Amino acid sequence: MSEATPETDARRLAERARDRVRFEEDALSLSDQVYRVARRLVRTREEAEDLMQEAYARAFRNWQAFTPGTNMRAWLLRIMTNLNIDRGRRDQRTPDTTPLEEGDYFLYNKLEEAVGPPADEERVVERLSQDNVVTALAEVPHDFRDAVVLVDIGEFSYGEAAQILDVPIGTVMSRLHRGRRILKHKLAETATVES
Amino acid sequence: MGAFWTDPCAKCEEMLQPFLDRELTDDERAEAEKHLVRCDYCGRRYRFEEHLRRYVRQATIEEMAPELKQKLAALRIPL
Repeated sequence: MSEATPETDARRLAERARDRVRFEEDALSLSDQVYRVARRLVRTREEAEDLMQEAYARAFRNWQAFTPGTNMRAWLLRIMTNLNIDRGRRDQRTPDTTPLEEGDYFLYNKLEEAVGPPADEERVVERLSQDNVVTALAEVPHDFRDAVVLVDIGEFSYGEAAQILDVPIGTVMSRLHRGRRILKHKLAETATVES
Repeated sequence: MGAFWTDPCAKCEEMLQPFLDRELTDDERAEAEKHLVRCDYCGRRYRFEEHLRRYVRQATIEEMAPELKQKLAALRIPL
C-alpha cells in the first residue's frame, strides 16, 4: 500500500476536481434534451424551470453518485422524477377513471368519421394541431403520462423508463399502453369538437 | 383476447402497440404481418399510429430559454 504524501494527496484532489468539472460539463451539455422531457412531466414552463434548477443543483452536489459510463440523461431524469414526487405534485393526482372501451383504432376512426377517408395517413395526423397534442398530453393522468413522456418523447427504452420511475418493466409497459390510449381518447375529443 | 381466426381486425388492433414497440414474439409478429398485407383497413391504422408517434414527439418540443441555461451553469460548484 502506498503511503499518502502531500504530493499524492494533491494529485488525488486535482483528479477529483477534473472529474467533477467533466461531470458538470457533460450534465450541462445534456440540458436541452433533459428539458424537453422535464417540460412535459409538469404542466407549466415555470414548473419545468424550477424542476430543472432543483435537479441540476442536486446532481452537482451528488455528482459522485453517478457511475461513469452509464446513461447520464437517465440518471438526471431519475433525480427529477424523485423531486417531482417530493414536491407533492402527486398529491393532486386524479385517479384514472376515464372509461376506455375504445381500442387503439379509436382516434383514427373518429378523424375519418369527421372528415371522410383520407388520401394518406400523414394527412390525418395533420388534422390535429400542435396545441391539441400539448393540451391532450397534459390531461393524461401523471403516472400514465410519465411513461408516455419518457418513452415516446424522451425515447428511453422500457428498461430505462423502469429505472427512472423505479417501477417494474411490466408496469411501465401497461402504463405506457394505457397512457397512449388515454392520449388518443383526449385527442379524439378535441378533434371532434373542432371539426 | 381475440384471435386471428375469429376476429382478425380486432386481434390486429390489440397488437398495434406491441407490434410497433417490437415486443411481439416472432410468431405473433408473423401473424400480424400476414393480416396487414391483405387488410387495408388495419394497414391504414398502423401507418397512422406511426405518424402520430412522430407527430406527438415533434409537437411537444419546447426549447429551453437561454436564461435557464445560464442559471443551470451558475449552479456549478466553484473549484
